Amino acid sequence: MERVSAVEASDGELIERTGGGDRAAFELLYRRYARSVFGLALRRLGDRSRAEDAVQETFASIWRSAKSYRPERGPGAPWLYAVARNAIVDRARARAETPTEMPEEASGEAGPPERAEAGWVQWRVHRALEELPEREREVIALAYWSGLSQSEVAEFLGIPLGTVKTRTRAALARLAEILEGEEL
Amino acid sequence: MNGGGPEFRELVGDDLGPEEDARLRQVHELLVAAGPPPELPPALARPPEERGAKVIGFPVRRRLGAAVVLAAAIAAAAFGGGYAVGHRGGGFRAEGAPIPMHGSSPAQLASIRLSSRDDAGNWPLLLRVKGLPDLPKGGYYELLLSRNGKPGPSCGTFRVHHGVTQVVLNAPYKLRAWDGWVIVEHLPGRPESGPILST
Repeated sequence: MERVSAVEASDGELIERTGGGDRAAFELLYRRYARSVFGLALRRLGDRSRAEDAVQETFASIWRSAKSYRPERGPGAPWLYAVARNAIVDRARARAETPTEMPEEASGEAGPPERAEAGWVQWRVHRALEELPEREREVIALAYWSGLSQSEVAEFLGIPLGTVKTRTRAALARLAEILEGEEL
Repeated sequence: MNGGGPEFRELVGDDLGPEEDARLRQVHELLVAAGPPPELPPALARPPEERGAKVIGFPVRRRLGAAVVLAAAIAAAAFGGGYAVGHRGGGFRAEGAPIPMHGSSPAQLASIRLSSRDDAGNWPLLLRVKGLPDLPKGGYYELLLSRNGKPGPSCGTFRVHHGVTQVVLNAPYKLRAWDGWVIVEHLPGRPESGPILST
């Protein structure tokens, strides 16, 4: 069995190797994408238990269909996004629901195009975060989603403020590079 | 920090060239728009396990369908001997990303790093916590699994000292039955507190 030689393998390479039965490649894909798939499923299904099921089904589907991936048709991330979206939609359709009445007035919520765009942005960003070295991902998470100032991040991590600032800037630059590389 | 995330200028300073400044600002705006990545529930902390043709560890009936699908797909491809790697005695070896925990105060933070499950069903985990007050004699904290925020079985107890405390605990349970963790406080002569920190 072929082994994944480096964590830096592209998504497309990992999908191809998964299609060839490479378990290590499949596990790397899982690590890269489990969180993104879960986020997408939560957004679409609104229920943690069903979102967990959707993650399982997504990766079962990836394992089954990886052989069908053709790198000449595009990078791996959109292919994975499509597989995940289909699995999640299937899960949503499978839900036993009683018919609901049509609303009489238009909802103020975002429509399908806006939701799709937001879902894709979230997917790309969360996926890119998985590529950061842990020490960079940590400062980003603390700065953006824990409400800590840079000084407080430094105190929490027990590192100098200058190091926090260096890591933060490096993380943003690395994310820019990853996201630019994914643009279609 | 404002309602839309941290101040971009505080993060990057003001000595960037205009092009790099615009490039990083775009990433900053994407991060704010995307929001935090969801915390993976313990059941998804690791890829599904497989040994031979049998999928191990999908005891929750509602997940049986997914388990069967995955088992069939994997067994059909002669998937090998599981994903058990990592903790082999000796030191702690973390797997996967840290799982953050938050309290009512921003000063109270914690994170959990899971190691691999061993053959006996132990999930060693490294708990790192900051901002919890020292408790009086006889008092201690406890890490518990939770479902929908309701505390479940214990993963161990610990005490803290000022600063950051790190301690290796254990979750000898089937994690997929739970969706998070909480930390509670025990004080002598008083009932267990509600969750102080949670995932």
